[in-house]
Amino acid sequence: MCGIAGRILTAPGRIGADLVELMESQRHRGADSTGFALYGSPLDTGYIVRAMASNRDRLSSDLQDFKNILIENNSDFISDPTWDDADTPHVSVRMVIKDPNDFAAWARQADTICENLEMQSVGRSLEIVKDLGGASEVADKHNIRDFIGTHGLGHARLATESSVSPTASHPFWARPFPDVAIVHNGQITDYYTWRERLERKGYRFMTYNDSELLAVWISDQMSQGLSQAQSLKKSISQIDGVFTYLISDIHSMGFAKDRWAIKPLVAIEENGQMAVATEEQAVRMIYLGEEVVNNYDGPSMTKTWEIGTLRKAA
Amino acid sequence: MSEVIVTVKDRPIREVNREIKAALAEGNKVIVRDTRSRHNLGVGLPPGADIRFEGSVGYYCGGLNDGANIEVERNVGWSCGEAMASGEILVNGYAGMSLGASMRGGLIHVKGDAGPRCGVAMKGGDIVVEGKIGYMAGFMSHAGRIIALSGAGEACADSLWGGEVWVAGPIESLGVDSKVVEPSSQEIASVEKLLDELGLGDNSHQWQKIVSAQRLWHFESRDASAWLMI
Repeated sequence: MCGIAGRILTAPGRIGADLVELMESQRHRGADSTGFALYGSPLDTGYIVRAMASNRDRLSSDLQDFKNILIENNSDFISDPTWDDADTPHVSVRMVIKDPNDFAAWARQADTICENLEMQSVGRSLEIVKDLGGASEVADKHNIRDFIGTHGLGHARLATESSVSPTASHPFWARPFPDVAIVHNGQITDYYTWRERLERKGYRFMTYNDSELLAVWISDQMSQGLSQAQSLKKSISQIDGVFTYLISDIHSMGFAKDRWAIKPLVAIEENGQMAVATEEQAVRMIYLGEEVVNNYDGPSMTKTWEIGTLRKAA
Repeated sequence: MSEVIVTVKDRPIREVNREIKAALAEGNKVIVRDTRSRHNLGVGLPPGADIRFEGSVGYYCGGLNDGANIEVERNVGWSCGEAMASGEILVNGYAGMSLGASMRGGLIHVKGDAGPRCGVAMKGGDIVVEGKIGYMAGFMSHAGRIIALSGAGEACADSLWGGEVWVAGPIESLGVDSKVVEPSSQEIASVEKLLDELGLGDNSHQWQKIVSAQRLWHFESRDASAWLMI
């Protein structure tokens, strides 16, 4: 089943708390794992890296490997990495790094060599945090409710065709494009066809989750110079399956919906603010009155929301 | 008959539905408040029940209705009135996907638009939509009538087996295996009579009546390419 959500504020605010609310009210749609793509005030220079280490016992040596690759690419940690202190084997790590010389080359190298420390997002603003369990558990563990930012995405996963693991959860980062993330509700039926096609072009898949395909596919479109809105539109005729997915970057958020109009999407849009979710009852947790909801129910729909112009001033 | 108010908020839906049924069993009219678009409200209500939801409701509201009179002040989510046998549901706002799915009898009246696949697999009864009916309205419906007063979206009456889709206003496109036929004056009178009862009578409706073209009744795999949409 799965549930997705997005939220846009007009100025930096409690984006984490709102997304937790949106996802907690959809936890009946899946609580195998929950994830958030959070956009804080962007750095002028440097990137925030969110990564998942698979083995807590060897975290320091994995971080040393990661640092070595940064140095090879004329980068380094700007501050000491931080991580959660839970008792799970996997660890969620946050790093802030200097701009590498060649971002894509560095990302490829880090993905290849640091196989125990998988990057989940890199961006001036974007931070992807995902873990096992429902929204409130993930929020408690990773302090999602305290996150201040302008916009973000959420995902509640009911695993169907691939394994349940922290790294196979949504959102997915459209590597190697900083700040681009997707969440998806549905199934991609031509997954293997597209995966092989994209792998032949040199793209790397980190999981067997079909939704990751959307992130990689979007990267490929962006490499060809397509905008977010153009990619969303094109995906409807190119990708087969049942899907409603949301994509976000620093400047805009958008969705695309398949030709069969299966997976719902409901939004309340008011004065430059917006809450969007799979279910109406989720957006009603943010807007407690009887605000007008927009049901994006038709086939082959796309839409793009611009993030408020206030963020540069923030 | 007195009125009983039931509040939903974040209470467990089972508890809310038990309270609704208990109040109805005592012969009260029930007003449901703070509905917050929550799912499964007012499912399986008995004959003679009279209930009004103030606000919007989520999925499956009025499902398995067995003769109740249900009103929703604003929107309904997926599958309002699914598999209902009899009774009436009035939706004052928008109706989400699969309105009246598999319904066998009774009437659903929507003042706004209806989402995709309203009347999917419908087996009887009437759906009246004052706005526009969405994508694939009447998909695989077997019997009953869907009546839309302000047009229809794409693939209208797709794969219709039986039943009728009546549209006043533009139809974006017809679905597979359906055709527009000329209605008889008795049929028009019957539709207008129903609309009259709902206060929607208007002899100027330009009706397009859509029925099954019946080619899919005898599906042959060698003809599959005729049905593929991609």
